Amino acid sequence: MAARVSDMDALLHDARRPTPATCYHCGEAAVTGVQRVVGQSTHAFCCEGCAAAAQWIADADLGDYYRLRSQNANRVDPAALDLGAWDRDDLLDGHARVVDGGREITLLADGMRCAACAWLIDRALTRQAGVLEASANAVTGRIRLAWDPAKTSLSRALRCLVALGYRPYLATGTAQEDRRRRERNRWLLRVGVAGLGAMQAMMFAEALYLDTTHQMPLPTRDFLRWMTFLVATPVVFYSGWPFLSGAWHELRQRRPGMDTLIAGSTLLAYLASLVETVRGGPHVWYDAAVMFVFLLLVARLFEQRARGIASAQVDALARARPTLATRECDDGRRESIALSALGVGDIACVAAGEIVPADGVLLDAPARFEEALLTGESQPIGKAPGDSILAGTVCRDTPVRMRVTETGAATRLSQLTALVERAQSHRPRLALLADRVASRFVVGLLLIAAATWLGWHWMQPARAFEVTLALLVVSCPCALSLSVPAALAAAHGALARIGVLSVQPDALERLARATDVVFDKTGTLSNGRPTVADVDTFDGFDGDLAWRIAAALERDSGHPLASAFAARVGTAACSASDVKTIAGAGVRGRVDGNKWYLGHARFATGGDDDDDGIWLGDGTRAMARFELRETPRADAAATVAALHALGLRQHLCSGDAPAPVARLAAHVGISEASARQTPESKLAVVRDLQHHGRIVAMVGDGINDAPVLAGADVSIAVGAGAALAQRAADFVLTGDALLRIPEAIALARRTQRVIKQNLGWAIAYNLLAVPLAVAGLVTPWIAALGMAVSSLTVTANALRLTRTAP
Amino acid sequence: MNILLLLVPISLLLLGVAIWAFVWAVRRGQFDDLDTPALDILVDDEHDPPPARRHAD
Repeated sequence: MAARVSDMDALLHDARRPTPATCYHCGEAAVTGVQRVVGQSTHAFCCEGCAAAAQWIADADLGDYYRLRSQNANRVDPAALDLGAWDRDDLLDGHARVVDGGREITLLADGMRCAACAWLIDRALTRQAGVLEASANAVTGRIRLAWDPAKTSLSRALRCLVALGYRPYLATGTAQEDRRRRERNRWLLRVGVAGLGAMQAMMFAEALYLDTTHQMPLPTRDFLRWMTFLVATPVVFYSGWPFLSGAWHELRQRRPGMDTLIAGSTLLAYLASLVETVRGGPHVWYDAAVMFVFLLLVARLFEQRARGIASAQVDALARARPTLATRECDDGRRESIALSALGVGDIACVAAGEIVPADGVLLDAPARFEEALLTGESQPIGKAPGDSILAGTVCRDTPVRMRVTETGAATRLSQLTALVERAQSHRPRLALLADRVASRFVVGLLLIAAATWLGWHWMQPARAFEVTLALLVVSCPCALSLSVPAALAAAHGALARIGVLSVQPDALERLARATDVVFDKTGTLSNGRPTVADVDTFDGFDGDLAWRIAAALERDSGHPLASAFAARVGTAACSASDVKTIAGAGVRGRVDGNKWYLGHARFATGGDDDDDGIWLGDGTRAMARFELRETPRADAAATVAALHALGLRQHLCSGDAPAPVARLAAHVGISEASARQTPESKLAVVRDLQHHGRIVAMVGDGINDAPVLAGADVSIAVGAGAALAQRAADFVLTGDALLRIPEAIALARRTQRVIKQNLGWAIAYNLLAVPLAVAGLVTPWIAALGMAVSSLTVTANALRLTRTAP
Repeated sequence: MNILLLLVPISLLLLGVAIWAFVWAVRRGQFDDLDTPALDILVDDEHDPPPARRHAD
């Protein structure tokens, strides 16, 4: 126990550094006790796959990876993956370009979590013989690989990738990715031109400003003004184009907003300066126009970047699609066809370990499918003939035939992808609020501006134009409009860095207000890998024999418990025949001539002891009962303590039996636990809490929690595959560390504070500046300075969020 | 003040060069990934890959 507590302390301080109890490579619990000497020291590993990957990295002299990385690596599956399909001519012809000296292909890799992964992949691939060039991008998860087919095959190059724990997939949405990159580059160019142009324009403007005593000869002054005009023009019209077109759009819809005000002020400053330049008036304001465009472009770029990080993750869903499908012709012949050629009504064949190409109905025989990507459920799910199976799930154990019912965009997988994308294109509700405020502000301001102009025109016509311009520039609510997006962009960036992905746009605000956290036990607080703790026998039955029989029955079932039994028994297991798995009940088979049943009490013993144990019996009598235990995640207790410190009430709602739930709750320190909960009753618990005015954050892990996740005020899904598929989830933990949850909540609260400070500051600034401007006490250049300072203040305040220290 | 007639066009020329260089860098993908190359500087120069254990698999 003491050792566990110290582990948790270590995890609390730095969850990324492997502790003695966790795998050196992937950071998961190293329960199997694989120990290897890697580099100079001995490390523990969770499995042979991770050990081999670490060994490979050390041998290749890439051990710096462990120093550079900011996230743990993927668990490496020791099972060999058949990469033969990558060498097929039809695949290469369709997706690999011919380049000088070889071919080039763009791949997606899952598990690329930080820049160090990209660094490792770069180095590892480049060192392969026959690989011409390799470059990996951690942001998009894409790898560009050029190789010489005469020297190596693609599958050989990819095997090294697989050995390191990254599974390659064909990049499907290349057109979309290209579009996204071009869009981003266009923004960068606009910002770059605006920045350089604004700098130059400011220099000329400075020369003009410094001439306070008007000693500069008029030709020099006009020369400098025309030069400023020359530099400012591309900034206003090229860089500022998004604002100009946005303003046009807003005006056409008769809903003046931010863009109208921005474009209006910019154009007014620019055109007024041009008029003054031509007629030789006393002032020009080109600098105000260009600085304005530059600052706002930078703010927009930040906002877009924050959402871009999330959208790169959507590709994980696109990845699940296989590139080729096998179709059975009418005469029983099988042919390999491109996925797009598969039609509704076709019979498709899926080999064991392959990905189901389309939604369909299972034919012939029962089989098991791994639906981790769609539901987050890591255990394979048994399906009977006639059941529907979904594209993107992985067929386990046996090859199957299926009749296709939906293809392409109609599949559930594509719909989920579309849902996630739609959620991402929403603008956060808070930002919309700021926009609404701004819209009213714009109308009010234009009225004040008109009144000011009339007033000054009546009293002092010479200054009317200047004062009105100063009013428009000084009051431009750019601090107001920057305050929310800048804070959100900074917060999303910080969240992504700690491994929390924000899927729903306005969830941050709700997360900050959460008062209660409800955990779903399975796979959330526990690691989802149950172990067999103990056995009780009846009627003097031999305990060891019970273990051996159970191990024999389980061995061929592929059930997750199989390894637990096998580890206990070792090589002394009996052999079983006629083993048959009955879905939802257990396993039945013949061991040493006797018929045995292993599973639920009713199934194995005919009784109705409804508990969570596994019973061994002959169908009527109970012989033994195995006690199952779930191990809590290493950081579960620390997480609960941290959430408690944040003042959150915590609840545990589990579908399991009361005893293990109570045990787990006591272990991690949650006082309110309820067992035997159905999704409906979990939802009722949440509704009840909400009824009492609590704001509930639900932490869950799969589609079975969908109603509860949707019903809660804010939901956090554990495990990347689950959450992306989980349309109800607001946040996704990309890593496995539960401690990210309290960190994310603390960050969300800080974000709310910063947004409030920013809004307060922006409003106070405007309340102060507008009367001064109306009174004519503010010249346009002071107005531009004040506007810039106030924008910079809110941005700097928002940037405080990127510092991860509390 | 006649020197301005030379210096100002030179500054504009330099501005043009800077913008051209920036456009070139963006088009060549220099800004596509800002995180990975940052790690290179933290790592010592490449050693020759050790001859032992060339992985055949």
